[in-house]
Amino acid sequence: MQNNSHDDTGIPFAVRTRILRGLLSAELAAGIYGLRLFIACVTIATVMMGAVWMMGDGLSRSLSDSGTTLLGGDVAVTVVNVPLDDEVVDGLAGTGTLSRVAELRSSAVIGDARLPVEVKGVDEAYPLNGVVRLTSGQDLNAALQTRDGRPAVVVEPGLLRRFSAGVGDVIRLGDQEFVISDSLLIEPDRLSAGRFMVGPRVLMRLDVLTQTGLIQRGSIVDFRYRLDFAPETSLDAAIEAVAALRPETGWELETPRDAGDRVRRTVDRTTTFLGMAGIVALAIGLTGAWASARAWVSRRVRTIALYRLSGATPAVVGSLHAAIIAIASSLGVVLGLGLAAVGTAFLMQIVSAQLHLVWSPVSLVDPTLQVAWILVLGITGTSILALAGTGRLSPGAAMRSGEADLQPDNRQLGLGLALIGLAMAGATFSLPVPSLAGIAAGGLCLVALVLTGGGWLLARLAVSRQPRGFIGVVVRQGLLNTNAVAMRAVSIGIGIAGITAIVAAQNSLEQGMRAELPDRIPDLVLIDVQPDQVEGLKTRIAENPALGDLQANPFMRMTLTAVNGVPAEEALLREDKSWVIEGDRSFSWTAEPTGAELLAGDWWAPDYDGPPLLSPEEDLQEAFDLKPGDKLTYSVLGRSFTSEVVNIRKEYHRTFRPEYLLMASPDPFRDAPQSWIMSLQGETDDAVDAFINDLAKSYPNITSIDIRTLVAQVTEVISGAVLASLLVALTLLVAGGLSLAAVIAAEVDARRREALAFTLIGASRSEIALARLCEAAAIGGIAAVLGGVAGWIGGYWAVEQALRVAWTPGLLAAILPLLLGLVAALAAAVAGALGAFPKGRGQIVRQLSA
Amino acid sequence: MSSVPVISLQKVMLSYPAPEGEVPVLRGIDITVEPGEIVAVTGPSGSGKSSLIAIIGGLERATGGAVTVLGSDLMQASEAERTALRRRDIGIVFQSYHLVPAMTALQNAALPLMLSGNLDGTKQAQQMLERVGLGHRVTHRPAALSGGEQQRVAIARAFVARPGLILADEPTGNLDQETGIDVAETMFSLVHETGAAMLMVTHDRSMAEKCDRTIAIDAGLIAA
Repeated sequence: MQNNSHDDTGIPFAVRTRILRGLLSAELAAGIYGLRLFIACVTIATVMMGAVWMMGDGLSRSLSDSGTTLLGGDVAVTVVNVPLDDEVVDGLAGTGTLSRVAELRSSAVIGDARLPVEVKGVDEAYPLNGVVRLTSGQDLNAALQTRDGRPAVVVEPGLLRRFSAGVGDVIRLGDQEFVISDSLLIEPDRLSAGRFMVGPRVLMRLDVLTQTGLIQRGSIVDFRYRLDFAPETSLDAAIEAVAALRPETGWELETPRDAGDRVRRTVDRTTTFLGMAGIVALAIGLTGAWASARAWVSRRVRTIALYRLSGATPAVVGSLHAAIIAIASSLGVVLGLGLAAVGTAFLMQIVSAQLHLVWSPVSLVDPTLQVAWILVLGITGTSILALAGTGRLSPGAAMRSGEADLQPDNRQLGLGLALIGLAMAGATFSLPVPSLAGIAAGGLCLVALVLTGGGWLLARLAVSRQPRGFIGVVVRQGLLNTNAVAMRAVSIGIGIAGITAIVAAQNSLEQGMRAELPDRIPDLVLIDVQPDQVEGLKTRIAENPALGDLQANPFMRMTLTAVNGVPAEEALLREDKSWVIEGDRSFSWTAEPTGAELLAGDWWAPDYDGPPLLSPEEDLQEAFDLKPGDKLTYSVLGRSFTSEVVNIRKEYHRTFRPEYLLMASPDPFRDAPQSWIMSLQGETDDAVDAFINDLAKSYPNITSIDIRTLVAQVTEVISGAVLASLLVALTLLVAGGLSLAAVIAAEVDARRREALAFTLIGASRSEIALARLCEAAAIGGIAAVLGGVAGWIGGYWAVEQALRVAWTPGLLAAILPLLLGLVAALAAAVAGALGAFPKGRGQIVRQLSA
Repeated sequence: MSSVPVISLQKVMLSYPAPEGEVPVLRGIDITVEPGEIVAVTGPSGSGKSSLIAIIGGLERATGGAVTVLGSDLMQASEAERTALRRRDIGIVFQSYHLVPAMTALQNAALPLMLSGNLDGTKQAQQMLERVGLGHRVTHRPAALSGGEQQRVAIARAFVARPGLILADEPTGNLDQETGIDVAETMFSLVHETGAAMLMVTHDRSMAEKCDRTIAIDAGLIAA
């Protein structure tokens, strides 16, 4: 009696290796066409995972590596409205190399055309880190030299496109004319602004900016002071020295870590969200890989038996098949990683250009290796599961009937499952927010378990029924195989769950963004309105019947430093609201109630003229659990105040109207240097356009931001996000389809034999097809219901916990599971039944005689 | 007394498509089989024997000539009509047993009755399995049966609906001699009991000799 576990044939190891190599060469010469589905499943899982991991890692790494560049120095200090005193500036310069930058919004004019722009004045030391890249390749300082008596500016290509202008043309900002000397490709500290850019960038010399009159009393200007310390300097000590120059004030002091963190949080969330889709694709891909590998092994039962009859040991048989699978896996992984790398490189070029980040293809290496090892673990696990039992195959049994069940070894099953678990865990923990990814992966496992349970229940139901008709009997027989039914339910249901969740989440996000656009947004926002211009403008707008819905407030900035005497950082109760104390925030004063809904307290009287009273917005309230009566300490224009909260305001975000985190009663802010922001709506586009032109002539210092253009840009972004989500869903759909095809392929030989037997006894094609359709519909129905419900739950969780928008899954998310279940059922029926019929003359005879 | 032939083939032609063109398999076959007659078809491999069975069973359509089986013109019959004829009046036994792996012996044997709308066919199937000597194996699936037992299930399935014609393609080809003789005797005995006609392809000369007559085919033509 042969002991299957005993493979010591007395043949030396080197000879055994040569034998294995010879067999492998012969097998490979015959081709691995039978593993094409397996390769496709591995490829799609690799592409999906690779793309997400490479993009996420690439962006995070760029942000981490570029922290100093993004910030513009080792330390950056920002003040708003009023520059630092010379004394403080000298103090800063004493700690390291200093670079000064000022940023403000203005309007650029060429001829009659007018465009809001983001102006930035830079000194000669700028940039301390990174390099400004201009189209011509010339140095920035050279580009900003005065030409023909006019100061020069460097502008973004977008401005040239909008004005149909070119280098050498003259542009007007305020009352000053500039010559365009070059176009800007990379601005290394672009993200340091940390705010929404209303127009293209215009770079000019700082001394020119201060001399042109663009900065007026009350203009909203960010003055940034960047410092580079000598290499041997202790960063902490240097930061301490800088902070000591101006304690207890509202300046914002940032380090490179802060600058990177601001953007990285968004990138991390996005990466994790996409990573969940990647994990779904991994799960679906591995399921498909397992099923297709199993189908391949099942078709090779005769070959395996022949090898065994010819004296091959179980070890040789196992090694041979493992080697073939490994080669096929490598093909899939290499192909998938290649496709992912090409796609990622293409996308990163676009994204890095948009974000002004420097990105190198070398950054693809680490995530590629990370994805590769996760996949190696997962595929090794699925391969072990698929190959389990090949060594224990009885040659005699296999040769007698051509069919033999592979009896897997429990230890092999355990090892395979453990490796798959490790791969999933690896994928989860390699994402930036493992807790979210972990919940997604856990949810996925739960869905798989529920679907397995559903398949099991269906099989139990089939056992309990005793149909008497042909179709009933065939359907029942098809459903009796619990493992096959569960596997099909899982492969269909997982895809349905993932796709439904993504579609529901995407629809909620889209609806959430679109819903607030139509009726609340103004058409025009005017900034830098001087206090003495407010009344005149109000009158002009009131006299124009085509304009209305005016809202006008002084716009200032404040920094919150303490709550009820406790430093703001310590008093913060909600980490997700930490942005309220990061840097300077919007601040205004008002005598009259603004019309905003009050969540608590009351407004001050219109004639109140006492010490400042405060009206914080809901976000501020949530950050500190504020109540009327609490005291806030805050800094405005370099002066510190401590005032009492009298009410809590509710604001509606994403309205494009100026909203204020903190509002105060008029005194003493009424007399401080300030500018106003006004927003209004027009009945027609023409009325708005005419008003913009009128403003350009009457009030050249005022910058008008055409919100209609911004809305078009936001809509474009939303459409892009929708397209991206649908692409992710489509990829999952393809992965699910491949997985289903693999599961069907695993059964197709048995189905073909059954179809032949049914044909012989006089069953028609339609009867066989109907039976298969009923069977597939039962499984598809279970998968659709369970997968759909799971998808809705998953989508709801993602919307509530990750995206934090209102839950509006949409009709498509409701229809999709049923539709996909139906399509999957039909596909399974067509491929599993009709596809199993012999086609073409002679084929039936050939198969009958086989 | 004149009777209508169970099988009537006239100048039957069959060819299969191949990359290099049509490959002729049957090149003008004339065969007539009367009711209750048992006819052996012999010939070397590739001579067209299995194709002949497939044409008579309505599994393939001849590319020329006339094919009439149990009064039906199979050259004109639709797919549905050929399927109905096979279901109602023809039992087929192949060398490879072509049982449904997922079904028990009893379910396999009862399938033709179910297809004909006989929902209480289990009893008949049970009797037929007992008749072929498998009364003790009714709940077993094909994988648990020996080759001879699987072929007996296939025979029970072919005879259970008492068809007028049995087509057998080397029914003992996969069996050892002793089992083969056993299986063949069972088939002959059932044919006599039911009065069916049988066309049996065989390489076994002794089995051919037990038939009423033998038709030899070579290269797609009647050789003798």
